[in-house]
Amino acid sequence: MKNETQEKKSAPLLVQMLIYAAVLFVSQFISNSMPKSFPLPTAVVGLVLLYLLLTLHIIKVEWVDSFGGAMIGLIGFLFVPSGISLAANLKIMHDEGIKLVIVIILATIVLLVVTAYTTRLLLLLSEKWFHHDSGMEKQSQEDK
Amino acid sequence: MMILLSNPLFGVLLSLALFVLGQWLFDKTNGFFLLQPLFFAMVMGIVVLALLGHSMGMTTAQFYQKAYKPGGDLIFWFLNPATIAFAVPLYKRNDVIKKHGFVILFSLVIGTIVSLFAITGISKLVGLSHVGTASMLSQSATTAIALPLSTAVGGNAAVTAMACILNAVIIYALGKWLIKWFRLDKDPIGEGLGMGTAGHTVGSAFAVKLGSIPGAMAAVAVVVIGVVNNLIVPLFAHLMHI
Repeated sequence: MKNETQEKKSAPLLVQMLIYAAVLFVSQFISNSMPKSFPLPTAVVGLVLLYLLLTLHIIKVEWVDSFGGAMIGLIGFLFVPSGISLAANLKIMHDEGIKLVIVIILATIVLLVVTAYTTRLLLLLSEKWFHHDSGMEKQSQEDK
Repeated sequence: MMILLSNPLFGVLLSLALFVLGQWLFDKTNGFFLLQPLFFAMVMGIVVLALLGHSMGMTTAQFYQKAYKPGGDLIFWFLNPATIAFAVPLYKRNDVIKKHGFVILFSLVIGTIVSLFAITGISKLVGLSHVGTASMLSQSATTAIALPLSTAVGGNAAVTAMACILNAVIIYALGKWLIKWFRLDKDPIGEGLGMGTAGHTVGSAFAVKLGSIPGAMAAVAVVVIGVVNNLIVPLFAHLMHI
């Protein structure tokens, strides 16, 4: 599957940008119509929407692949303004800053490890209970 | 001078310069973790803003608003197309979703509940205030979901924003080591879900580099964890009297 998509020519950059802009535009509309108590940001709606468009074969992967890959590669940089925005809230650090930073560091590690280990445990259990054939499992490992 | 600085170009230039400098230093030092470009740009950016603001007789927050925010917002906007772009790696591994969809969903729900107990426990142990603890609960959701949730359970949205940002910075800086220490690479599905949960979109970008399965799983996590938080955090806060 991978080789197939690489052989096909990707759509021109502006066409790819047009698709992203159109998906975001519709997503913003959906996001705005969500109730206040259940917020779904534009970007999350857009991710689901673009995924559905790809899965339902309404748009082809080569129409969105190369621009998307480039954007994902930039995320580290795109996040810099969020980091610097802490400059507006330095007051928080005065009250219980060190404690907060300690909790946040530990929480990050907890979230990573708990999620990963829970998944590993449930995958093991599901394979025991439902006797999945292990053939596909191996194949997907090799793909990686 | 201020007119020149309040142009978006100043924020864009400062962000680019610090990030590129960070990349260069990170390479030169063979990957010293405090020089991770994102962490470096964040710390140095705040220092530069504080110094420049001070020299003009403004507080850091005022100077940030006036000089950095116009350019920062411009860059920040591009996180929108960058986030929806994760649909592509996700689509490419539809085989994994089809095979393990339910397990993935249950893992994220159970993982969130266990993490909530752990985070509450840690907050109490460290002696965090009531408001501080409440602000810690929704941090695994993406910022736009986490902030209103935090307010709803009696937290401070600015503190939660700091948590969401630091989550991403920590994962970006320490991800490589955390994976090694906890041997997360044994299972690419769990690895990816963990990176997406703990590091949001930055964690997902990290996971894409690890392989196609972790990349796709991190994208799933970003979406599902947002929805799961919306459902579980208010209930958890109510039951635990936070």
